[in-house]
Amino acid sequence: MATELITAVIVDDHAAIAAGVRYWCEQADPPIGLLDAGDRLASVWTGQGADADVVIFDLELVPGKPDFGELRRLVDSGRRVVVYSQHADNATAIKCIDLGALAYLTKREGPEHLVPAVRAAAEGRGYTAPSLSGALAADDTPDRPRLSPRETEVLRAWFASSSKELVAAKLHITAKTVDTYIARVRVKYASVGRAAGTKSELITRALDDGVITLAELNETVR
Amino acid sequence: MSDDETKAQLQRGLRIATLILAVLTVDVLGLIHLVHGLEFHDHTAAQFAAFAALTAVLATEAVLVVRRRLWRDGRRLAIAVVLGASALSYLTLPDGMTSTTVDWLFGAANWAGAVVLLDRPFRIFLAFLVTHELLALANLLVFHEVNRAALVRFTTGSVTVFALPLLMAVVAAVLGGIAAEAARAARELELARTAEAAASAAHRRRTQRFAELSGTAVPLLTGLADGSLEPSDPVVQRSCAIEAARMRRLFAETDMVGNPLLHELRHCADVADRKGVEVELDARGQWPTPPVAVRRDLTDAALTALATAGSWARVTVVGSADAVSVSVVADCAEHAVPSPATPDVRIEIFGSGGTVWMEAQWQPS
Repeated sequence: MATELITAVIVDDHAAIAAGVRYWCEQADPPIGLLDAGDRLASVWTGQGADADVVIFDLELVPGKPDFGELRRLVDSGRRVVVYSQHADNATAIKCIDLGALAYLTKREGPEHLVPAVRAAAEGRGYTAPSLSGALAADDTPDRPRLSPRETEVLRAWFASSSKELVAAKLHITAKTVDTYIARVRVKYASVGRAAGTKSELITRALDDGVITLAELNETVR
Repeated sequence: MSDDETKAQLQRGLRIATLILAVLTVDVLGLIHLVHGLEFHDHTAAQFAAFAALTAVLATEAVLVVRRRLWRDGRRLAIAVVLGASALSYLTLPDGMTSTTVDWLFGAANWAGAVVLLDRPFRIFLAFLVTHELLALANLLVFHEVNRAALVRFTTGSVTVFALPLLMAVVAAVLGGIAAEAARAARELELARTAEAAASAAHRRRTQRFAELSGTAVPLLTGLADGSLEPSDPVVQRSCAIEAARMRRLFAETDMVGNPLLHELRHCADVADRKGVEVELDARGQWPTPPVAVRRDLTDAALTALATAGSWARVTVVGSADAVSVSVVADCAEHAVPSPATPDVRIEIFGSGGTVWMEAQWQPS
């Protein structure tokens, strides 16, 4: 798996975005194979697009109308989706995660987040970019999962600094521990709300890796 | 007191005074004359019907005064009743009794008309007076013996019958003018007071702003002016950048915007942006609007870091119902922790390898 080339298909109506993402994928080490579907959703479902490991999905192909329906269809058919959106509001970010997207990035976030997000998604893991981290930290919806004060603190610090090294240094923990806290939050979010294949995969993996215990997971639902 | 209140109060006083005069004239003086002259009347029922008609009009006015309402659709009917009662009384008057005390209605009818028409334009009331006068004159000329004595009685009687209600109408018109004048004067006075208050508030704000800048910006400007500070000195440049950002924030503080904290941070970020610093500004969550002093504490660290950042800065705000925190991470020199002026603000500073991270948090107690 590790030696195999990761492939991704991008659905975005802006040619410049697709070209930029292609450049980032080519420059990544190891490179990521990118297929440009333009704004044709059909290309994601057929031919090479259907075989791509990851779907990079522009949530707003039609301006002002985030296409949550298509995101749900992609997730339900087992696709691993990275949402790449110009939308920056909390509700949209959290809804994408609830629907089962593995990552949510705003278009202000560049290759330093998109490339790791695609790699994580290809393995069925979640990636939490700073913007999503901020959205989760500020989430005050009634059905949100219960987070520990430390988890919230890490989310906020990651949102504020955009650097895991800085977060680790400031909170006197290792960068790996920072990742663990963020992963736990994603597992907790995966355990509430709507069921999705990608979400149960996220939970199973987290339990296997010992990121969270079953007992802790049971306490997350309010 | 507002314009309308002044006017309404004057008009109400006049209305009540007119009604009292009308009741005295019709129901006291009129009734006395009617009862005293009863033996001369051939048609007492008609005379009492006329009396009842005028009394009904006055009673209606009394009800309206108590309820603080005006005559509306009933006004024409009331005038018709008054003129009808007059005609009835005049036509059933015994011969040679016009303009005597037996002709009790001659002096009373105009007052009943006055209460109905007091708030109408002057010319309408005048038209009513003339109509009633002509009615009485026509009755005299057509149905009674026209002799010198009757004409003298009519003329002298008309002086009080016509002139007194007329005088009342003139007073009403004059009072209306005075009320309008008083209201205008009050309005002008109020405008002048408002302008004065606004001017003094603006002056106070300017003085306040100047005082806030005088501690830091003024010495800098003085130093630059007298040559004691060198514009090429990086320390001076840094101070200038900070003061520029502080002024921008000060100007932004008075803007009426939905989210003042974010608005002021954008202005601080703009100063860095103009210097070619790449600034990311992101906010998450909702928070209550902090007072100006707290906002200054919250933005102060960000302002300093932004003004002195080398190439990039990330400013973030995370808020909830009970706390808001402003973070700035930038490649700037590490500054001393500014001491917040308000007790509920906590500032933390953290430096690591050329990157400085400052966080200001407000948690209202």
